[in-house]
Amino acid sequence: MSSPSNSVVSDLRKEVTDSRYIWTRGEILKSVVGLAIVAALIALATSLGNDPKFGSPAALSLLIGISLGIIFERGRFCFFCIFRDAIENGVTTGLISIFVALATGATGYSIVFALFLPVPNGEYLPPAAHIGPISWALVAGAAAFGFGMVLSGACIAGHLYRIGQGSLRAIPSLFGVVIGFGLALLGWNDLYLSQIQQAPVVWLPDHLGYNGSLILTLVAIGILVLVTLRFTKKQDRNYATIENPFTISAIGYSLFRKRWSPAITGALVGLIGTFAYLRIEPLGVTRQIGTTTRTLLDSQALLPETLNGLDALAGCVGIISETITNNGWIILGIVVASFAAALAGGRFKIEPLSLKGSASGLLGGVLLGWGAMISLGCTIGVLLSGIQAFSLAGWVFGAVMFAAVMVGIKLKLHKLV
Amino acid sequence: MSYTVKSFRKKLVSFIAGAAIASLSLIGIGAAPASAAANPNAVVSADWLSTNLTNPKVKLIEVTVEEGAYARGHIQGAFEFRWHTDLVDTVNRDVASKADFTKLVQSAGINKDSIVVLYGDNSNWFAAWGAWIFKLYGAKDVRLLDGGRAKWEKDGRALTPIVPNPAKGNFTAATADAKLRAFLPEVVKVAKKQSTSKLVDIRSTDEFNGKIFAPAGFDELAVRAGHIPTAVNVGWKSTLNADGTFKSKADLIALYKAAGIDGKKPVITYCRIGERASHSWFVLSQILGYNVKLYDGSWTEYGNSVGVPIENPAGTVWGKK
Repeated sequence: MSSPSNSVVSDLRKEVTDSRYIWTRGEILKSVVGLAIVAALIALATSLGNDPKFGSPAALSLLIGISLGIIFERGRFCFFCIFRDAIENGVTTGLISIFVALATGATGYSIVFALFLPVPNGEYLPPAAHIGPISWALVAGAAAFGFGMVLSGACIAGHLYRIGQGSLRAIPSLFGVVIGFGLALLGWNDLYLSQIQQAPVVWLPDHLGYNGSLILTLVAIGILVLVTLRFTKKQDRNYATIENPFTISAIGYSLFRKRWSPAITGALVGLIGTFAYLRIEPLGVTRQIGTTTRTLLDSQALLPETLNGLDALAGCVGIISETITNNGWIILGIVVASFAAALAGGRFKIEPLSLKGSASGLLGGVLLGWGAMISLGCTIGVLLSGIQAFSLAGWVFGAVMFAAVMVGIKLKLHKLV
Repeated sequence: MSYTVKSFRKKLVSFIAGAAIASLSLIGIGAAPASAAANPNAVVSADWLSTNLTNPKVKLIEVTVEEGAYARGHIQGAFEFRWHTDLVDTVNRDVASKADFTKLVQSAGINKDSIVVLYGDNSNWFAAWGAWIFKLYGAKDVRLLDGGRAKWEKDGRALTPIVPNPAKGNFTAATADAKLRAFLPEVVKVAKKQSTSKLVDIRSTDEFNGKIFAPAGFDELAVRAGHIPTAVNVGWKSTLNADGTFKSKADLIALYKAAGIDGKKPVITYCRIGERASHSWFVLSQILGYNVKLYDGSWTEYGNSVGVPIENPAGTVWGKK
């Protein structure tokens, strides 16, 4: 049997003395504080679980939010940054994380669906999955969302985790999102009756069964990968890989400081999406924002007494509620855990905010909010959770939103900072 | 003087009536007119169900309206019936048709001799509606799980997401039993005191007294507030303990007796759309054995009907500011 050759051993010795793997006292301190924040969040989740007012769904939602905050931050799972890299520079590495998330999640969802609704029969949809209607409202909402991403520099989920990294621009943007939700709610009834009520809801398993739907989805993702490779100019290989040396400091380096591999990031997002659907509801980050906006407007008697059909639609639909919904705990988890991860990795930095950047962020936020409300979700709720759930509306949203991002970047709308 | 004559006459009447009933029951012709047989097993405990989960005669049905709750976890072997589509007609306002109900029940693997146990969320409201439909269509042995889904969950008992796939059962629905369902004309007769049946309004006191037209957050309402004349108000919730289990039979008898419902006269229960009233129907007919009909049209039909008498103690006027 062969033993490791001397050259390999000496390489490893050389590598572990590499300056990247040497932690300063400050870096260790920041990592400990980051871990302590995550520990505190987990303790909060435990106490939520024991509180009869909240219970295990709230606890689990917070744990999901914590995981997503860390994964988004460490894997740089920001739809706009990924699209911009690909469109502007031909760097397509980040797109892999989205494709892997879709493929992993679709596989996971098909297992859960087979449990929840063994035979798709055209009569019922699986409970609470994000399978929404396909209408001109969806197209308009997706386009607005795409332009909103370019203008404000991120999608809603992106802004949430970037607050944790110290992005001040996320604040006017998220304020804009609330305004956008409000505008969409005020115009909801007309839009619903004219565009959405009779719009078709297409769920692939009704036509192809679970196997056929999964195969078709995986083939479609495969085609997207091929198209992506065709347009790839550069690849960003600067992420943690298994080739890094196997020492405590090097593992810490991979986990805390180095960007996670896009494939691992995508697989984790897909897995968490599956767990979330199995236990609580599909992933989404806008339900609490919609709920807060709706409750606020309702308390000021600004909303019509009835929002037609809204509560019966599938997606990230806000309800009227004074308490924090499960979705609110996810958002809290994302923001705070992302901060912890950014701090531990030395990436927390308060980004200065210009007046122009605030204005474009606010305007972009309004478009994000309006688009998300009209589309009944965002990049996470409609695109990710929708495509994973074999909803054709997810693909429509994704295609239109990507086209809008392309146009927006060509128009240099993202330079308005 | 007249008092004694009257009371003597009363005593005489009751004596004759009592003797008549006694002699009738001696020769085996019917029991008291207003009493159907109570089912001593109408309510099953979680312990009983746990030991009977694999009993092939026991068929478990969940009727829960919270979306996804059944899918994410239900009691082992439970089959789901959906209230909004399975147990009512989706076009006409009516219960599920005989043919549709037969098909549904057979698909759940239920046979003529099955013991059907139902449970659900909202303190078994919708499960009780299911129990009523089963009895309406002639099922022999229909029971409710005490405390419903909430207590089972709270007690930390096991749930599974695995959906059963039973072989087709041989249950066939009989013609709907007219003794279990009241329609508007019969209820109007009671309101006009042309019938001696007793109406039990199981809604909240504020609905009963006409202070509100419908509970907050509910769209289905009537354009008149109040209650059907002669009805007594016994809220559905007063039949339950704090943990959602049914009160003891003695407590239930006392509860209704205090409101003048003692089972001697036929009873009709109603609420807003009929689902909560099926819960009280279950208590009165299945646990206490009284002769009870459910008026499923309830206040959304009665309070919207033209030309029927209404009592509205609060005096609220629809549309008046």
